[in-house]
Amino acid sequence: MIEFRQVSKTYPGSDKPVVEDLSFEVLEGEICVLVGPSGCGKTTSMRMVNRLIEITEGEILIDGEPNTAMSGTQLRRKIGYAIQQIGLFPHRTIADNIGTVPNLLGWDRGRIKSRVDELLDTVGLSPDEYRNRYPAELSGGQQQRVGVARALAADPPIMLMDEPFGAVDPITREGLQDEFLRIQQDIKKTIVFVTHDIDEAIKMGDKIAILKQGGVLAQYDTPENILSEPDSEFVSSFVGGDRVLKRLSLTRVGEMDLEPANGGTDGLLRIDEGLTVKDALSELIGSGHSRAVVEKDGENGLLTFEAIEDLMGGASGEPSNGGESSA
Amino acid sequence: MSNPALLLLQDLTGGTELVDWEWLGENFWEDILPALQGHIFLSSISVAIALIIALPVGILSARYRKAYPPVTFVTGILYSIPSLALFAILISIPGVAIGPSPVIIALVAYSLLILIRNTVAGLDSVPPETKDAARGMGLTDRQILFRVELPLALPIIVAGIRIATVTIIGIATIGAYINGGGLGTLIFDGIQRQFPTMIIAGAVLATAMAIVADLLLLALERYLRPWARVRRT
Amino acid sequence: MLYKILEVYARPDFPEKLRQHVLLSLVALLVAIAIAMPVALMIRNSRLGALIAINIGNIGRAVPSLAILALALPFFGIGFGSALVALTALAIPPILINASTGLREVDKGVIDAARGMGLSGGQILARIQLPIAAPVIFAGIRTSAVQTVASATLATFIGGGGLGDLIVEGYSRRGPEILLAGALAVAILAIITEIGFGVLERAFTPKGLKIAQKRRK
Ligand SMILES: Nc1ncnc2c1ncn2[C@@H]1O[C@H](COP(=O)(O)OP(=O)(O)O)[C@@H](O)[C@H]1O
Ligand SMILES: [Mg+2]
Repeated sequence: MIEFRQVSKTYPGSDKPVVEDLSFEVLEGEICVLVGPSGCGKTTSMRMVNRLIEITEGEILIDGEPNTAMSGTQLRRKIGYAIQQIGLFPHRTIADNIGTVPNLLGWDRGRIKSRVDELLDTVGLSPDEYRNRYPAELSGGQQQRVGVARALAADPPIMLMDEPFGAVDPITREGLQDEFLRIQQDIKKTIVFVTHDIDEAIKMGDKIAILKQGGVLAQYDTPENILSEPDSEFVSSFVGGDRVLKRLSLTRVGEMDLEPANGGTDGLLRIDEGLTVKDALSELIGSGHSRAVVEKDGENGLLTFEAIEDLMGGASGEPSNGGESSA
Repeated sequence: MSNPALLLLQDLTGGTELVDWEWLGENFWEDILPALQGHIFLSSISVAIALIIALPVGILSARYRKAYPPVTFVTGILYSIPSLALFAILISIPGVAIGPSPVIIALVAYSLLILIRNTVAGLDSVPPETKDAARGMGLTDRQILFRVELPLALPIIVAGIRIATVTIIGIATIGAYINGGGLGTLIFDGIQRQFPTMIIAGAVLATAMAIVADLLLLALERYLRPWARVRRT
Repeated sequence: MLYKILEVYARPDFPEKLRQHVLLSLVALLVAIAIAMPVALMIRNSRLGALIAINIGNIGRAVPSLAILALALPFFGIGFGSALVALTALAIPPILINASTGLREVDKGVIDAARGMGLSGGQILARIQLPIAAPVIFAGIRTSAVQTVASATLATFIGGGGLGDLIVEGYSRRGPEILLAGALAVAILAIITEIGFGVLERAFTPKGLKIAQKRRK
């Protein structure tokens, strides 16, 4: 869907490339997260997709066509764009903001209005209450939602998101992440998502591209594989010493194969099937027990330390991913 | 009027009639220097008096918010009265028209709006939590004002002094019309005698003085700005 | 005294002086806008351009208005046209400074979002930058207008006419009523300009920006 082919970028007046020989492919309907330390070229890479920044060498293909096949403005109207600064137009109402691209594309008023209302619903803002407000009348989190709605407005198959939840507090951010993953299950956009936060990358990504300084691709894989088999010192230190625990957060206890708990489960610790294995493990250790009961589909399963160890041993081949497991 | 562009060209290239260097040399000590000194005196005394009035008024306006709109209304009206008109009104008031006093009064009147506005803006820019912390440490209101609020507000107040000073140096030239002295004397005499050298001398010196004052105060503002930077981050 | 002042306003030459004053100010302002706005638009994306414009503007502001009028004399001679040129030169800096800072201070994120959504350069200017900068631009025009009305009083010194004629006449002939009549007329004209352009400024401030300003306070 989006293919980077040996893409390099050197800014004018500098001789060092900030993105170097970058090649990878984002599959249709997937979220590809670009992650890495600050200044490693994530934003630059993302902005070359919709040609806000022109490529120095190499090419980017969209649906097999080079992204230079049409004018920059035309291209950008077909690609959703959401950024950390949000950039809502302060002098336009929320409805006008969301309707920007449909308006540029010449949709009629009725269609724009119903699309705006639909999107406000999608991002959890009541249309009647919010459509005629101005950005200054919204909280930071609400503005981020409108930013995402605006990017989705013309139903573009591709979305570019640069730290789209970066400007809000951690709790709001988690809520927005969960909500966006829920929306993505329906809309199945092809998304390039930039963040510097490895936890956000693990949570949001179907694939993760880890970049290091100078815009060099260090590893491109599923979150599961990056956590279980980091292929360099750089990657393993970037994902952190707790990568085993991070892997546990990719799976929910409900998804584990648990042995049925036969007989009496009275007095045993009960754990909700929606918890991540990491949280379940934490509860288990905290309770002082060695086993807990997980109720799933009316049957009781037995969660043990051994079961968790088995999961870590056998999970690397499974196509589990952050997007689906945490939804 | 003949073609002004041609005249300009001729003046710029011919050069000799526009500035009479000999005259400048001969009259420097007698005419030019006193005019410059007079101008410096007029401007600095006016800014000083204006500050003495504006600081307390600004501090009070920041405290008692209700007083602020009427204060800006009155000073705003003063500010928008054209200077020649204000000079004219002032010399018509018996008892005011003594020496340079109408000029000084007018210059003070022009500075008030800018200075008061920046004092209030400066005090407003002090974060409430900073004042709260000061209070929590047991500073009295007066100590908070002098040790916390005013130092933090100082860069913005100095920015106001800059604008006021540049404005005043310009307007002070007009004061020469009502015998206020200063560099305007050269300009008015030059107009009267159709002698460009005098006009240019007055204009260049007044402009240079404004720019120098602006740069000096800018340096002061920069020097004071570390406070502001700490405040912002 | 008041009666004497009113008598001056009844003089046959008063409407002519008023007309000259308004004409001088208005034409100078319009020409200044016509010069400053295109320049501001041209340099809106250039840091160097803005730096140069703002510095020229600042130096321009440091030249006393009396000096600019007097300097027009050796170049353009005596009269209305000369005063007009000088007043135009005076009217440019505030508009240029406000327009170029106003356009440049539009939030970078807003511009980036607009570009990212596929607005063209012209669309960004017309739909985003100009409306958002409008209040700052109008504030510059207001400053310039009030200042031009005030400086037009000085046109009298170079034979440019206007209400300053009355002040000079009253001063040189020791006619306090003429002096005051001129001064009051100019003062009222300046205050009307200030208030009038203030109304205009508010009218051109988009509602969303007013709300944002209020929130910030
Ligand atoms: N417009 C630009 N001109 C020159 N250098 C730039 C420009 N934008 C970014 N850079 C440089 O390119 C590098 C990568 O920047 P960026 O892509 O924004 O990194 P990231 O998003 O990963 O933090 C940085 O060193 C940055 O300073
Ligand atoms: Mg970035």
